[in-house]
Amino acid sequence: MRDAARFDELIHPATRLSIVALLAAADWAEFAFIRDQLGLSDSALSKQLTTLEDAGYVTIERPLSERRRRVRARLTPVGRKRFTGHVAALRGIIANAVPEA
Amino acid sequence: MTNYPTDAEARVALQGVEQARLRVIDQIGMPWWYWWGLAASWVGLGVASDVANPWVTLAATLTFGAVHSFVSTRLLAGRQRTSNVKVRAEVAGRRAPALVFGFLVGLGAVTVAVALLAYADGAGHPATMASVLVAVAILLGGPRLMAAIRAGAIRRAAAG
Repeated sequence: MRDAARFDELIHPATRLSIVALLAAADWAEFAFIRDQLGLSDSALSKQLTTLEDAGYVTIERPLSERRRRVRARLTPVGRKRFTGHVAALRGIIANAVPEA
Repeated sequence: MTNYPTDAEARVALQGVEQARLRVIDQIGMPWWYWWGLAASWVGLGVASDVANPWVTLAATLTFGAVHSFVSTRLLAGRQRTSNVKVRAEVAGRRAPALVFGFLVGLGAVTVAVALLAYADGAGHPATMASVLVAVAILLGGPRLMAAIRAGAIRRAAAG
């Protein structure tokens, strides 16, 4: 069943939308992977992830492996639902656009 | 009050979503060491069945099977080529593990068939010969199979 279209202002800014879209296609992603794929600085990504985590859209995990600290981000069920709804809302905006004469 | 984007802005936003998805799809695959390890093990088993004691060959085969089944439970779906990201099952495709498994079963059958043909032709080391041939097929075909699985994921993403 598709989630209802719902525009989400928190997700919509381009950088945040790219982060959430990346996480939506993954079970989880390393901080470094997101940073490198989207060409962000550590601080910029950290700030966006904190915003998403505070909203309950993302969880941050810090598993200890291979003697180095890793940081993983994962979309929560709420975040996934909001993202799906947001994408549906964007599609709705395009579908309802009046063609130029 | 909510500031809704224009349809042009919405299109740009959706393109960003699509690009992010494609970046993850690009990660579908198996680690390089899986294919090289598999090819080397295949040749090792082929050599063992030609020159070693049958018990040694049996033990090597069982060990290979156990190690492979342990490794493949994590990797066979092609969702974790690196330790940086784990691709979602519905993005990688539910058929990916079956395709890889089928590929391996097919290679097993080819190994036996080629070895029997080589034996019938009087070759000195038929299993070694067959396993080298199949090892090359693993190194060439494995990555191509994963590329096909990625292409399928891109098609599904484009279809929405």
